[in-house]
Amino acid sequence: MTPARILVVDDEYGVRSGIRQILEIEGYEVDEAATGEEALALLDKAEYDVAFLDYRLPDIDGLTILQNIKDGGLQLMTCMITAYANIDTAIAATRQGVDFFLPKPFLPDDLLGVAETLVRHKQARTEAERLRREHEASLLELAEEKTQTHSLISSLRDAVLVINRDGEVVLANRAMTVLLGMEESETLRHPAAELLGEGPLAPLVEQLAAPQKDRTIGQLTLGERTYMTSIVTFRADDGAALGRILTLSDISQIRRVAMEKERFIRTMVHELKSPLGAVRSLIEVVTDKSLGDDIESYLPMLSRAENRIDNLVQLIGDLLSLSRSEQARGQTEPELLEVEPVVSAALDAQSERLAARHLTAQMEVEPDLPPVLMPAGDLDLILSNLVGNAVKYNRDGGSVTVQAVHDGEWVRIDVKDTGIGIAEENLFLVLTEFFREKRPETRDLEGSGLGLAIVKSLAERAGGRLEIKSELGQGSTFSVLLPA
Amino acid sequence: MSHPWSILFVDDDRDFLDAQVAYFGSRGHTVHTTESTQETLDFLEAQVPDIIFLDLMMERYDSGFRLAYQIRKQERLDKTPIVMLSGVARETGERFDQEGQGLLTWSRLDRFVDKPVTGRQLLAVAEELLAHGDAEPNPSTDDPSS
Repeated sequence: MTPARILVVDDEYGVRSGIRQILEIEGYEVDEAATGEEALALLDKAEYDVAFLDYRLPDIDGLTILQNIKDGGLQLMTCMITAYANIDTAIAATRQGVDFFLPKPFLPDDLLGVAETLVRHKQARTEAERLRREHEASLLELAEEKTQTHSLISSLRDAVLVINRDGEVVLANRAMTVLLGMEESETLRHPAAELLGEGPLAPLVEQLAAPQKDRTIGQLTLGERTYMTSIVTFRADDGAALGRILTLSDISQIRRVAMEKERFIRTMVHELKSPLGAVRSLIEVVTDKSLGDDIESYLPMLSRAENRIDNLVQLIGDLLSLSRSEQARGQTEPELLEVEPVVSAALDAQSERLAARHLTAQMEVEPDLPPVLMPAGDLDLILSNLVGNAVKYNRDGGSVTVQAVHDGEWVRIDVKDTGIGIAEENLFLVLTEFFREKRPETRDLEGSGLGLAIVKSLAERAGGRLEIKSELGQGSTFSVLLPA
Repeated sequence: MSHPWSILFVDDDRDFLDAQVAYFGSRGHTVHTTESTQETLDFLEAQVPDIIFLDLMMERYDSGFRLAYQIRKQERLDKTPIVMLSGVARETGERFDQEGQGLLTWSRLDRFVDKPVTGRQLLAVAEELLAHGDAEPNPSTDDPSS
């Protein structure tokens, strides 16, 4: 520990140096000042732990020095030395914050006793000050943390309501006040039961009031949205309940996806089982010899069984395409693709079926059409699906037209047929996986019901969309819009 | 088999229907087929079969139940056994089964059979359900329009 520094202020040389010698022997570091001015100059320059001040000085009196020490916020301990100690001086000095009086004349032991006491006090005071500053800093940190936590909670998408043990609201974040249709100021310090009881969250009041459970999870539907509700009791270290936190998480999207998936799987199971069931029944006719011993009689049925198996294989292929288009985002690199060769290839692939149905095909690709950015396989799949549909759902002798134009920020590819069309009420449904219009015209047309779902998903993955225009009995136009 | 039955198959899968026509036909039974709710109701206006095999999923996922309910509402079809064929009961699990149980009672179905199903299985079901009916064949099957 560094030795304590002491300042001795006295105009009498003998007293000054006497005090100094005694203190230095005891290991203190000592500076002297003969006048008030000198004293103030030294106090300005260095830090002292203790100052011995003579009351009477030639220029400035001791009280003024005390005043300066006080005003400067200096932390040193002070002792007034005076030969004329009287009650008035004592009162005045005490007002200026002096810590001790040492009347002249005094013995060296008296001086040392006072010095020791004051140095100890000073050290205690310094330590207290250090602790106070530390405390202040941590309070500051705490306040900052509190602000951060508050803004964090405010910006949460989940709605949060915190109530104290008296059931009063101590925090309601933005999402919560929006749900309640109130301002935050309207909620604070109000009984939660009262606030919720009047609003859409009324069903939660009972749960909030049941403190026996530490965690209650539930579900609440508000309008079109579904929320997972959670009520948690928070406790002090000794286990006493301090309050409860209510959170509402919007799970509408998750629920919708889960329900869609369930529906998809249910339908997929049906779509896979139907052809299997048919094939099984057709084979049973053979093994049962239902049609007699002539194998020729069974050929039509076996050929139908083969057909169903082919379609099943196609369905599985489509399922894979769909699952790839929905999940394998980023696995295949998009590239800049010219539209014309892809359209041309899609039409070529259908040439046999076009000829068989006496369909005419037309391709009109605008010159200087900008390329589109997507994986090559995706554009192939889009066009082969749409052109395939245009052939499948056409009337004999009709036409298939593919037009590609630059339309503002889009490259727009229209695939137009002169076929059976789609009933207006089914325009959206045809985009649903497995949906197929059941009409006499579609009776004998095979299909997985996945083609348009695949096209839509691939177009959206490339940042585009699929549009459908159709007139029953006249034909349909499927437009894929892709970012130019 | 004491006498041939008149069987109605309601399903929208033509391959399945034709296979049943061959299978049951080779055993001397008369097999009628319909492919939609409306076609079925029209057919039942004209005649009453001995047994109806009804596919659950046609126009809608529950078309079969609705149709069964409509059939049961008619007094003259009150006693005709209805066997519901469905490919979804097992896969969709408990929830459908619970619902299905209620619907079975509600639509007064006689049997619930999981698809895919063989003609042999359906034959066994028909034999069981029609065992008691053999003594008194349904008079409506003699309808001249059949």
